[in-house]
Amino acid sequence: MIESFSDFIHYPFLTRALIATIFLALTCGLLSPLVIAKRYAFVGSAVSHSTLLGLAIGIYFGGSDSSLTLFFWTLIITLILSMFLAKSTWRQALPSDTLIGLFFTATMGLGTLVHALSTRSSGDLLSYLFGNVLLLTDTDVMIAVIVSLLIIPLIVIPLKSWLLSTYDEDFAIISGVPAKALHYVFTIALTALIVSAIKVSGTVLVNALLLTPGFFALRFARSLRASFTLSVSFSVLSALLGLVLANYLETPSGATLAVTQVALLMVAIFISKFKRLI
Amino acid sequence: MLSAKKISFSYPDAAPALKDISFTIERSQMLGIIGPNGGGKSTLLKLIVGLLPMQSGNLSFGDKALADTALAYIPQIQELNDSLPMRVCDFLELVPKKASRSIDECLKRVGILDKKKDLMRELSGGQRQRALLARALRCSPEILILDEPTTGLDGQGQDQLMELLKSLQHNEKTTIVVVDHNLGQVLKHADKVLCLNKSHHWHESKELLTQNIIEDIYHCEFEHIRLHEAGSTFDDHHHECQHDHSHDHKHSKDWKKDD
Repeated sequence: MIESFSDFIHYPFLTRALIATIFLALTCGLLSPLVIAKRYAFVGSAVSHSTLLGLAIGIYFGGSDSSLTLFFWTLIITLILSMFLAKSTWRQALPSDTLIGLFFTATMGLGTLVHALSTRSSGDLLSYLFGNVLLLTDTDVMIAVIVSLLIIPLIVIPLKSWLLSTYDEDFAIISGVPAKALHYVFTIALTALIVSAIKVSGTVLVNALLLTPGFFALRFARSLRASFTLSVSFSVLSALLGLVLANYLETPSGATLAVTQVALLMVAIFISKFKRLI
Repeated sequence: MLSAKKISFSYPDAAPALKDISFTIERSQMLGIIGPNGGGKSTLLKLIVGLLPMQSGNLSFGDKALADTALAYIPQIQELNDSLPMRVCDFLELVPKKASRSIDECLKRVGILDKKKDLMRELSGGQRQRALLARALRCSPEILILDEPTTGLDGQGQDQLMELLKSLQHNEKTTIVVVDHNLGQVLKHADKVLCLNKSHHWHESKELLTQNIIEDIYHCEFEHIRLHEAGSTFDDHHHECQHDHSHDHKHSKDWKKDD
């Protein structure tokens, strides 16, 4: 087990995986309580699945060899799709889950079709479903770090406005908080984070990174400060544990990360219920 | 003086929700807005606070536009997003504009200073209303607007809240606008009443409000509204009034009968 820790220093691909995972987990941990409180869990899921269309188009035009080209293609296509989603979900009287569900399946289906019909496609779209840290390049790590460094101040500096627009949206609007702009900015940040996390956790499993830390924090925290501290700590520590386990057990990284986080959450809930009983 | 002149509003592809509504109240008076469901109360309130754009007519406070007035809005308590562990002190901290009063001062003023560290979602309905009121007080508002503040409160809680509003009105010279289904509380505490049903409205001092006016605005027999206020249930096949049967109101006293 000790050896599997030292592997992260000795093997460059594991060092890359470690750096990317730390930054992505940090950012996911920061966004996660807001994703849950804003009831964006399903939106996040729809955005992550719609990346398949961006990936299919990106692979068609640029191939899967250049990480940067593929990232920009996926980001641009997914941003266009997610802006439509953001517009459709802003202060709607009707529940938007049906629309999000349709968006989810339509973009995923379209992505698969585009990939299947395009003769130039050489990359395997399915490898992006569950992620693989072994495929991470220096460019992928750089992308993950830059995206994280852009998102973190975007959330931390105007945190008061994020919280107010989440907790009491009407009051926020009346008080002059640009709640509509924040809604779009949040969707953009979420999209960029999801696209940058695809290689680590995959389009299907990225939701575990986005939702589990926030759920854990909102379940146990007794203040706003505690909820963000808990979420970030849980996210980083559980992702690191998942990565170490994936290396030790030689299991797929995305799946191991997701299962580790959910398992830790379950253990915490079980312990808290047990404590309450005794 | 808070003044509204010929306000009209229509939602897209729908009949007018409000047509030519006018009212005035003096500074530090309380206006109660009542009316049947779908009568435009919430639409009017959203226009006043700026959540909906003004299509025609205008609103002013003295010689200022309403947008330039220190205005505080207290939403319905169920509109708060309780998934966040929001403590009362954090809630009062979330005031975007510069607050003129301290958190402790405002909490003391509404009588829940001992709840400062408690979570908002763990407060009772009455305590939550007080916390909302405390937040509103932080910026010393000239106009205070409340959306259904008595919903979910028992009779004693309703009385305490309304007394608190009355004390703000008199001590702080705050102008108050209350939208409420609770006719009894509105008629008991408001100085003026706006009885509203889309284009059909009545606005005057509450002493001039009669049973006939209420029946006319509600399109409903007065006895029915009274039974309604008492919490009676109805077989909806036998009447077609627009009163909201889901509300449980217990105060229906002090009605002024027609001569």
